[in-house]
Amino acid sequence: MVEFAMHNAWLIPLLPAIAFAAIALLLWPWPKASSTFSILMILTSFVLALAVVYGVYTQPELIEKSMVYTTRWFSMPGLRIDVGIMLDPTSAMMLWVVTLVALLVQIYSLGYMEGDPGFSSFYAYLSLFAASMLGLVLSSNLLQMFVFWELVGLCSYLLIGFWFYKDSAREAAKKAFITTRVGDFGLLIGLLSLQLIFGTLNIPELAEKAVNFQNYVSAETLTLVLVVLFLGPIGKSGQFPLHVWLPDAMEGPTPVSALIHAATMVVAGVYLVGRILFLFKEVPAAMHVVAIIGGFTAFFAATIALTQTEMKRILAYSTVSQLGYMMLALGAASLTASMFHLMTHAYFKALMFLGAGSVLHALHGKAHIHEMGGLYKKMPWTTWTFVIGALAIAGIPPLAGFWSKDEILLVVKEAAHEAPGIYTPLFWLALITAFLTAFYMFRQVFTAFFGPEKPENHPHEAPWNMRLPLIILAFFSIVGGWVGLPWLEKGFGYWVRMGEFHHAEPDYVLMGVSVLLALAGIYLAYLMYLKKAIDPDKVAEKFGVLYKLSYHKYYIDEIYLWFNQMVVDGMGKILYWVDLYIVDGIVNGIGAITRGSGAVLRYTTTGNLQTYALVIFMVIVIITLYFAFGDASFASLFLGGGK
Amino acid sequence: MSVNINYLLLIPEILVLSLGILLFVLALITPRNLQKGIGYLATLGLLGIFLYMPIAWKYTGMAIEGMYQVDKVAIFFKALSLLAGIFVTAIAPKYMEKIGYYSEFFVFAVFTVLGMMVLVSATDFLTLYLGLELMTITFIILTAYKRESAIGAEAGIKYLILAGVSSAILLYGLSLFYGLTRTLNIVDIAAVVKNNGITPAFVLAMVFVLAGFAFKISAVPFHMWAPDVYQGAPTPVTAFLATGSKAASFAIFFRFFYLAFPGIKEHWVGLLATLAALTMVVGNLVAIPQTNLKRMLAYSSIAQAGYILVGFLATDFAGFKAIMFYLSVYLMATIGAFAVATVYENVTGKEEIRDFAGLSQRSPIMAAVLVVSLLSMAGIPPLAGFAGKFYLFYPIIKNWGWLALLALIMSMVSVYYYLRVVLVVYRDEPEDKTPITLPNSIYFTLLITMAVTIVLGVYPTPLAKIAQQAAMIFMK
Amino acid sequence: MLSPKGAILIFFLTGFLLSIIILVLNYLLSPKSKSLIKRETYECGLETIGPTWVQFKGNYFMYALVFVLFDVETIFLYPWAVRFNVLGLFAFVEMVIFIGILVLGLWYAWKEGALEWK
Repeated sequence: MVEFAMHNAWLIPLLPAIAFAAIALLLWPWPKASSTFSILMILTSFVLALAVVYGVYTQPELIEKSMVYTTRWFSMPGLRIDVGIMLDPTSAMMLWVVTLVALLVQIYSLGYMEGDPGFSSFYAYLSLFAASMLGLVLSSNLLQMFVFWELVGLCSYLLIGFWFYKDSAREAAKKAFITTRVGDFGLLIGLLSLQLIFGTLNIPELAEKAVNFQNYVSAETLTLVLVVLFLGPIGKSGQFPLHVWLPDAMEGPTPVSALIHAATMVVAGVYLVGRILFLFKEVPAAMHVVAIIGGFTAFFAATIALTQTEMKRILAYSTVSQLGYMMLALGAASLTASMFHLMTHAYFKALMFLGAGSVLHALHGKAHIHEMGGLYKKMPWTTWTFVIGALAIAGIPPLAGFWSKDEILLVVKEAAHEAPGIYTPLFWLALITAFLTAFYMFRQVFTAFFGPEKPENHPHEAPWNMRLPLIILAFFSIVGGWVGLPWLEKGFGYWVRMGEFHHAEPDYVLMGVSVLLALAGIYLAYLMYLKKAIDPDKVAEKFGVLYKLSYHKYYIDEIYLWFNQMVVDGMGKILYWVDLYIVDGIVNGIGAITRGSGAVLRYTTTGNLQTYALVIFMVIVIITLYFAFGDASFASLFLGGGK
Repeated sequence: MSVNINYLLLIPEILVLSLGILLFVLALITPRNLQKGIGYLATLGLLGIFLYMPIAWKYTGMAIEGMYQVDKVAIFFKALSLLAGIFVTAIAPKYMEKIGYYSEFFVFAVFTVLGMMVLVSATDFLTLYLGLELMTITFIILTAYKRESAIGAEAGIKYLILAGVSSAILLYGLSLFYGLTRTLNIVDIAAVVKNNGITPAFVLAMVFVLAGFAFKISAVPFHMWAPDVYQGAPTPVTAFLATGSKAASFAIFFRFFYLAFPGIKEHWVGLLATLAALTMVVGNLVAIPQTNLKRMLAYSSIAQAGYILVGFLATDFAGFKAIMFYLSVYLMATIGAFAVATVYENVTGKEEIRDFAGLSQRSPIMAAVLVVSLLSMAGIPPLAGFAGKFYLFYPIIKNWGWLALLALIMSMVSVYYYLRVVLVVYRDEPEDKTPITLPNSIYFTLLITMAVTIVLGVYPTPLAKIAQQAAMIFMK
Repeated sequence: MLSPKGAILIFFLTGFLLSIIILVLNYLLSPKSKSLIKRETYECGLETIGPTWVQFKGNYFMYALVFVLFDVETIFLYPWAVRFNVLGLFAFVEMVIFIGILVLGLWYAWKEGALEWK
């Protein structure tokens, strides 16, 4: 079984793809059949992924040298492209996360999407997404990865706009598509440049060549290429300044938010950077860019999350913030910390989104936390699992988030020894963010789930198929971090790493500080929102400008809008004029010439048989004459001279 | 004098011949109103023989000493001919029921396939001419099938006379060669050239042979028959002409020129480059103002011949590989488009481009196949035509940069007239909204051509590998 | 200086030019009258009676074609029959197949009524 799964890992993405095709072509008239088939397929994938995980984590040699199966996709002299699958602890870990969350979300959707007219197509999209995401995870070639990257983008677009009859959903889908497109453009340019520089996009080959990159390219150029390439992850993983699409993406059905916009797709950017971290590592300047963007995003998004009132929006900004943490860890050259946090984040963020979905389901779409309250009585399962998730993200030991966040803080602190100018401020930002995270999470928990009940609400607990995923995810949110306990001999860091394994001693001071910060955040939220010892409105007034900035998300959307209207539209108007009168003129001219010549040439086909025969003979004569006079060597045959 | 014949290598030909005779006898002994099954029998029979081809792939060699070479290239093209035959017989039945002389059509189609199969294996003037004539004469009959309509009769007569003219020219060239070299064997010509050099009469013979082949592949300026004949012939026959006939002619064209004149290549490649350029330009430009779908496809098929001619110019096996690959994907796309045209003509009796308005509402699958086929011909990624064009143009960029550029520009021009059809199909409202139901055989044909066109576009390597293997052995 | 082979070129060119000259001269010298009468069908100098696009009976050609076909077959059989002893079994089988196919053709022609004058 393990052996089979290891050698046929391509089946893992293929099965959901089959589910997609089957639903799209055959099963769509029967919603039950569609969902059942889809879940069966992803379940099989999940089992296969488990086998792969087992196989990979019993073979330590895979850490240094990935298991790669490739097949020639395209070849010709001077250019060849191999595609294939690449198994190592990193991709195995991702397989586990993606199949687990995808499976749970598909089960959850049974309840959540029940009765929706687009039930079948919802499952088709979910399957397509799972297939693309798993394909992305397994890719051994960056071009292949890019193809799947675009595919998951497409699924994201389809699913955000799933309720396309809602204006806001349509707008959000478009926004997501266009914003990530900006990033993807950079990614594409970066990939093409890499292909031109190194002559390959195969990850293992790139890894070999990266060590001696000076033979191919100067450090400055490589830095530039990588920074341009990094635009792709910025767009996909919602990093500042391309984060604007992610909160709006919450217009999609909540399971989609959990699966795509929290646990899996948005981490594709982090994963991509992690995959080619060996390139970034060679040029410190590029690393600094990654770290600064990540660290800033973490803090920036957390400050916005403080004042938002929509449940899913708070979670969305929290996602942006946590993704920033992961990028920051990558920027500190630690694949381990980044991937560790990616994994734990997937557990607790998916959990909280699904919990939020459960609340929305119960309250028939009421989204603002102030309209909720006292839900814990009627919805105990949802409430307590949500609290577990919140504790995990806040960083309370021994829950999962604590260990991974601690790891990030630790690696950033270590990086600060080498380049204090860059990493020391980032370290402090990260610490403050930890405090903010605890605060805004429990602001939400206390307001929505505790406090006085709202009489106009009649909440009810979710059905079993929605509760089950919550319980499983809550379980992993508690124990999921234990694989990376700092006291373990061969923990997470031994398996998922880049370069030498070094066992960091647990830093008890740092642990203590981060726990204290988290507790402080929770206590403050308790004082303000549950005990009402401090009036939040007064605090808001006091920080007037800051509050407004945060509430309006720093007016980034407005700035973009203004930019669009003034600069892009203005430029557009000018270019439109140029296009209309100059380019169009030329194009139309060429078009007219082309069409005109076509119209003239068509008269060469007269329909007259004699003409046709005559032309054939004439041409033979002309060709012979050409050989006689046009071609020097033949001409000599006819006209004498040397042989 | 006894001749060595290796019957093992001739199995496909023998099977096709037997199939033809079997169908013929069946048609003789069953009454006319019970002959419907013959069409399907032809398809199934050819399909069976096609399935034998992977086995045949392993057995290569001289089937008849000095006259009949069964190498991997020949087997590849035999499989293509069979494929063309399968698809044509699959889409024809309903159409042919209306025209009459139903079962004869399939007998002729099978014999046409046999002619192509002989042609692509020929290494001797006699086998070459035999195969060519077997193919051409049956095609003459097939094109004249719609003899009740003026345009159909005109097509038949035109093809009869012009094919005769071109055969005569070819034969004249071949007899000149025989007179000059005292050999009927194509390979031996190369030896004679090596020893004796070339003479003016030799050049003349070469030009005659070139003209004969250029007529068959409808290269400009030997193309003028094509639009009239394509338009007038029954649509399945047009599909056959555009795919099978063209592929087989390309195969023998390439074989002849590379076996007989390898030493003087630098002389004739220039000429071929000119022909290719002319063919691409004229084919694409004249396709633009066409209003009849079949006529438009005829010009587009002329243009496609131009692209394929480009493959003659590469100096190594890459060119031949590209030709083989492109002919395969071109076959799929052409069959797809003509299958749609066949059904549509059969149901509505119309074949003008504007008549296809709103096809997407009447039959989504037909619209999808038509669009995929046309876009593949235009070379839009990720369809097979793109990969094919990439294989064709990439190897010649270095030595024939201007031609590659011209080919690219002309591909872009072609997008214009292909997209016009797409627009009509998807944007316009149909006059009559009744859905079109498809017979099973056509439905499968459509699905297969579309699937292959997409799959080979995404993952071209398997076919490319096969073609490369064949081409490498051929070029040694 | 012309090589001996160059004579061929001159011959070729002369022939080509001559044919063009003749065509052009013909066009220039011939009297042109565009009267209606000239465009009428020629029928032994008489006025045409009835429609001139009459159809001929196809059977006539059918007969001729079938005759020619089988005539040629005899020619092919003749050398085989003369050297029958030398050519042996292989040639015999081939000839049987050949004749067999021709018989099928005759059968078809018969069935389609090509041998009957109706």
